[in-house]
Amino acid sequence: MELIVALGLIVFKVALLIAILLLLPLPLTWLERKIAGHMQQRMGPMRVGWHGLLQPVADGIKLLTKEDHIPADADRFLFKLAPILALAPPFVVFVAIPFGESVSVLGNEITLYVSDMNVALLFVFAVIGIEVYGVIFGGWAANSKYSLLGSLRTCAQMISYEIPMGFAVIGVVILAQSMSLLDIVRAQADVWNIVYQPVGFFVFFVAGLAEAQRIPFDLAEAEGDLGAGFHTEYSGIRFAFFMVSEYVIMVLVSVLTVILFFGGWNGVLIPLPPVLWFLLKVAFFVYLFMWFRFTFPRYRYDQLMAIGWKVLLPLSLANIIITGIAFS
Amino acid sequence: MESGAAMSRAFDRIGTWIGWAFFADLASGLTLTFGYMFSRPVTMEYPDKEKWLPYSRYRGHHFLKRDAEGEIKCVACELCARICPCDCIEVVPYEDEKGNRRPAKFEIDTARCLFCGLCEDACPADAIALGQQYEFSSFSSRDLVIGRDDLLGKPGKATTGGGVVAARLNTKKDVLVETNEPQGYNWWRNIRRT
Repeated sequence: MELIVALGLIVFKVALLIAILLLLPLPLTWLERKIAGHMQQRMGPMRVGWHGLLQPVADGIKLLTKEDHIPADADRFLFKLAPILALAPPFVVFVAIPFGESVSVLGNEITLYVSDMNVALLFVFAVIGIEVYGVIFGGWAANSKYSLLGSLRTCAQMISYEIPMGFAVIGVVILAQSMSLLDIVRAQADVWNIVYQPVGFFVFFVAGLAEAQRIPFDLAEAEGDLGAGFHTEYSGIRFAFFMVSEYVIMVLVSVLTVILFFGGWNGVLIPLPPVLWFLLKVAFFVYLFMWFRFTFPRYRYDQLMAIGWKVLLPLSLANIIITGIAFS
Repeated sequence: MESGAAMSRAFDRIGTWIGWAFFADLASGLTLTFGYMFSRPVTMEYPDKEKWLPYSRYRGHHFLKRDAEGEIKCVACELCARICPCDCIEVVPYEDEKGNRRPAKFEIDTARCLFCGLCEDACPADAIALGQQYEFSSFSSRDLVIGRDDLLGKPGKATTGGGVVAARLNTKKDVLVETNEPQGYNWWRNIRRT
């Protein structure tokens, strides 16, 4: 009986998580277009619903009813596989992400995470690494030069930036003496990691921008010079898969930044519920992503590689050495 | 003296480097966009909430004028029909009970009209002019052929213009202007332009 209840709880949590993550791009696209509009002295969507709130729903219906076109010379199997490969890993990662300690519902303590892995951080990076396959397959299978160029760039970019990103969190692991995200947040109860790890945060966040393929590192899409990058040839629901994956990764990088460097659900000064604190911090980072997007131009490809290998990698290595010496 | 200038130049350069190291340029860009985000949008919410008032020189829909006795000014000389570059005016004259030459038929095909205003210039009786109305789209090009009596009822030249007034989209008829303020407000008043 206990086993069934525990199993049912996990299934419920996973279903809830998937539902939330699938619906999350709706408000986020609205928000992004609103922020873009107001930064350019426009209004953004205004006509569908109150202040355009139903615009993402209209767009979703439009995407669902569009023709699902596969180019004539495309590799049909890989072409169909790529959106799923791009969509699944960001969802899988959220299994290891804690959103708070626990809440009591009807006298039962319910934890706000699906599982507390002792190697959660490793799991996160391992699964995020799979995401690059979706991009490579998508670009290769479409048999179009824009797609291929976009996927080549993305591939190089994601592999280069995963290294400093992985190194940047080692400082956090040294401080918390654990790779469990729950323990990392508990270790920040008094002082947030950003105080001890400013360089680590900088490297992680810049690499996170590149991983999420947002401006100033969105060379994969680069609508100015590549059409739309690796998803040039995608349409309809398959394109929607790539879009959803992009937004979930953006939220994921924000969540990871908050957990690793900004104290997770630990609040300061104002006593708010921990979950609310967590959501507020994540919302700030999501806003920061959008703010960056509509402020900065895009880096050139060689600049991108130079930043990854010549700046971020040495910085992250120095960060590990200094943290190791200071806290040994 | 010279070494002092060189020193200050060197300090300037070091200051620039420190600025770069701490992303002063990126930060200034971010503050700029943040400021714009809370500035007033330049968008005129045209059919939904607002509408632009044309200036008096605006060339909108044609209208026919009446004289002091309330009679139509047009003498049906057909000069407007002759000068019209797209041949969209058709005038048929008749003699009324006072013995004046008047138009029995005065039709303008606004679907073909290019709103050049030559008819207004050519008119010897100051009877036709291009007014302020600019919302007369239609689903049928037949509805765009406007007769004499409709032209007499069309709004005349604007007296003021350039302002923006409250409006509302009525899907049954057309855009209604709902304001008592004839001037409207100056659109550029609150807009950030730096």
